[in-house]
Amino acid sequence: MLGSVLLTVLTACSSDDMPTFAMPVRHATNQSNRILSLWQGSWIAALAVGAITWGLILWPVIAHRRRRDQTELPPQTRYNLPIEVFYTAVPLIMVAVFFYFTARDEDRIMRTSAHPEHRISVSAQQWSWQFTYTSDADSSTTVTGTPGHPPTLYLPEGESVLFSLRSNDVIHSFWVPAFLFKMDVIPGRTNHFQITPTQLGRFKGRCAELCGQDHSRMLFNVKVVSPADYQTYLTDLKQRLAEGAAQ
Amino acid sequence: MTIATPRPGATGTLRTRNKGHAVVRWVTSTDHKIIGQLYLITSFVFFLIGGLMAMMMRAELARPGNQFFTNEQYNQLFTMHGTIMLLLFATPLFVGFANVIMPLQIGAPDVAFPRLNMFSYWLFLFGGLIVTAGFLTPGGAAAFGWFAYAPLNSQAFSPGVGSDMWIMGLALAGFGTILGGVNFITTIFCMRAPGMTMFRMPIFTWNILLTSVLVLMAFPVLAAALLVLEADRKFGAHVFDPQNNGALLWQHLFWFFGHPEVYIIALPFFGIVSEILPVFSRKPIFGYKGLVFATIAIAGLSVTVWAHHMFPTGAVLLPFFSFMTFLIAVPTGVKFFNWIGTMWGGSLTFETPMLWSIGFLITFLFGGLTGMILASPPLDWPVSDSYFVVAHFHYVVFGTVVFAMFAGFYFWWPKMTGRMLDERLGKIHFWTLFVGFHTTFLIQHWLGVIGMPRRYADYLASDGFTTYNTISTIGAFLLGASTLPFVYNVIKSMKGPMVNTDDPWGYGRSLEWATSCPAPRHNFVSLPRIRSESPAFDLHYPHVAVMDRPTENKNLLDQVYGEPDLEGGPGGPA
Amino acid sequence: MKVEGWLFTAGCLFFGLASIVYWELSGEWVGTVALAFTAGLAFLVGFYLLATTRRVDSRPEDRVDAEIAEGAGELGFYSPYSWWPLAVAFFGALAFLGIIFGWWLFIIGAIGGLLSVVGLVFEYYRGETVH
Repeated sequence: MLGSVLLTVLTACSSDDMPTFAMPVRHATNQSNRILSLWQGSWIAALAVGAITWGLILWPVIAHRRRRDQTELPPQTRYNLPIEVFYTAVPLIMVAVFFYFTARDEDRIMRTSAHPEHRISVSAQQWSWQFTYTSDADSSTTVTGTPGHPPTLYLPEGESVLFSLRSNDVIHSFWVPAFLFKMDVIPGRTNHFQITPTQLGRFKGRCAELCGQDHSRMLFNVKVVSPADYQTYLTDLKQRLAEGAAQ
Repeated sequence: MTIATPRPGATGTLRTRNKGHAVVRWVTSTDHKIIGQLYLITSFVFFLIGGLMAMMMRAELARPGNQFFTNEQYNQLFTMHGTIMLLLFATPLFVGFANVIMPLQIGAPDVAFPRLNMFSYWLFLFGGLIVTAGFLTPGGAAAFGWFAYAPLNSQAFSPGVGSDMWIMGLALAGFGTILGGVNFITTIFCMRAPGMTMFRMPIFTWNILLTSVLVLMAFPVLAAALLVLEADRKFGAHVFDPQNNGALLWQHLFWFFGHPEVYIIALPFFGIVSEILPVFSRKPIFGYKGLVFATIAIAGLSVTVWAHHMFPTGAVLLPFFSFMTFLIAVPTGVKFFNWIGTMWGGSLTFETPMLWSIGFLITFLFGGLTGMILASPPLDWPVSDSYFVVAHFHYVVFGTVVFAMFAGFYFWWPKMTGRMLDERLGKIHFWTLFVGFHTTFLIQHWLGVIGMPRRYADYLASDGFTTYNTISTIGAFLLGASTLPFVYNVIKSMKGPMVNTDDPWGYGRSLEWATSCPAPRHNFVSLPRIRSESPAFDLHYPHVAVMDRPTENKNLLDQVYGEPDLEGGPGGPA
Repeated sequence: MKVEGWLFTAGCLFFGLASIVYWELSGEWVGTVALAFTAGLAFLVGFYLLATTRRVDSRPEDRVDAEIAEGAGELGFYSPYSWWPLAVAFFGALAFLGIIFGWWLFIIGAIGGLLSVVGLVFEYYRGETVH
């Protein structure tokens, strides 16, 4: 029964009508809506299960207290097959449903295409980030930050971006809370993920894997701008880098 | 029954000639009850130390800006807090309870290897002291987090000797835990009293058995990983070098240990609650065999879910680990409903052990639900490594270990010491802790989802995290303060009256309630006949025992989900 | 010993199956080896227990109708007290510290540890307790 509630909630209701259960932003990427829907549906199911179970705990506490004048023992029931089978089978069905939606969604989220519109290379090191706009410029079009001056990553709205993540030293993790997504940056391997930002704005980014002393200062910013502004930014960046190199 | 050779000059009673003699008696003890109490006291002291570190961290995080600690010191604090709480508090606490209670519950005179038992305690104490002594070194204690990921754990990135002491201290203590596991399994398999079949053992003993099996499977992996890491650091090995995929190798090895470890610290405490609920509901545990098989399922599955701690690495088989993690919720849910079924239709009273057990049920439930959310990778990716996870694991671990620890203390205090703990102080203790705990950790779920990562020494005023952090800190100090009524209770009860009865609670079921409070040196002067999972109850309530009838014509489902062994009893056919 | 033996044997089968399924689905070495070795550990204990079950008669603790009197008599030798566990642990700790701080400490720990282990093993075969 609860499984069908979950199914109904996830397929019929729009996630825009439901509370976000603390998720920071709606619709920031092409993926985030799918994640938000799953989050909302799961919380509704979880809270329903919780309410029922807390109720079942509190009921004997209230209704089956020992009365002051009671001296006999209650019936010494040791087991009840139908009930036990029921509360084994029902959770099994519920987790099966949850797993179905999970498997479907993680598959979609992890997909990368052979021809993304943009490629950006992210390099992490103790304790800041380096962004290289490899597809739109070249390997020298790089922005590097410091703990005192977090770097800003520019992204074009509505266009797909394939990220490559590399670490120069220890494990870090690339997290933009508004995108409802993070991925670890592990030395010795290159990780990839692809998203399409769908909302203009400024978002915070953080390192989400302990990487040493200044882990909490390894911040960055993300600015999602229109594709035209994105190209303008890159042109300006290339110019500034060339001027800097010339000096 | 043989009586052990008395020490020349010593008496058989608790009175000792002087303090020095008492110290020698404890330090050379081979009595599982004394060794168990050593474990309980030492792990409780580590709990207080770890708790102090928590309060220090919360003091730092109450407002933005570094008020009390540098980033480096803060990293040492959370590393040592996690290490102490999991490996020097919760794990030895399980060994302590198992030592004190399990041999009594199966009618054994001691554990199978008494001197090995004491040896294991010293390994724990010395290992724990070595780990903690890192704070006294110039470079400070280990600061790479309690999971010590590679290559942050390498000589290059964590050069201080405090890190080496963390590694070798844990390896030493880990060997102690492994030997303890060996001892418990052997005792349970080989030293049960006549008639104490496997399916008459109390649920607490079953849980100790399965926890000890998990220890044998998990701790050697940790020991191996730690020793190889030390070889990398000290002897020039390159096993965990990042070029050789060492970062992921460490994670797989660590979590192959790390996930069973959290079940090692959970299962014994589920067992404690399974003992207390029947006594204060005045009925047997509901679904005995269902509980046993659920616990076996949890133990088995817990070895196959390790990489759910690695979902954001992009390097693990997501559907396999997600599926196994979802599966493990099913037997856990079964246990939950069995506990509820024990209370249902019972005759409940709310002495302190019962309060703590119900507090566990309420708290652990929420932690279990957030665990289900985390089992789904698309939902884990946004909140992994954030305060949402911190909140989740404190709900499940604190909810289980600490609530059930206090439940076990209040429940078995008379059996260990011969005296009761004060009920009124106990209730003050419970309610202060309950309010303090939920104030500290409930709001951390929100904090994590809106974007605060874990292990952050500081945050910006512009982040919007401040109010939630301040509330959490207030809760933490209330939580810390709640320990004081307990400490006062312990001291005050030392002067209280002796109970002078086998079962001060009145409705004890398992065998430890059929011997004196405290028990004699080899546990039993005489043993009652064992014909069910509640031999002490049958002894004290023979008119009820006579009504026990085993189910006729058991089918397969009865075998799996049914009652304990009731055959041969006074009620039904032999 | 039957239940005990089957407990471990079931574990062996479960972990063996998990190891095979995991390898087929992931091709990942570390987890596969770890699961396979876990199955091996369970096999060692399970096989021994089932073999023992076949060899020994039903013990009083395995029978539902056993009487306490059937366990009467000497249960075994229980060490009354001992200094040796402390000694072995102390030198063991020195040896572990020696890996960090230097070979001189390790050698002290190793030699002391070896002597203590001998002391522990022979504790009740010497002096008053020679037998």
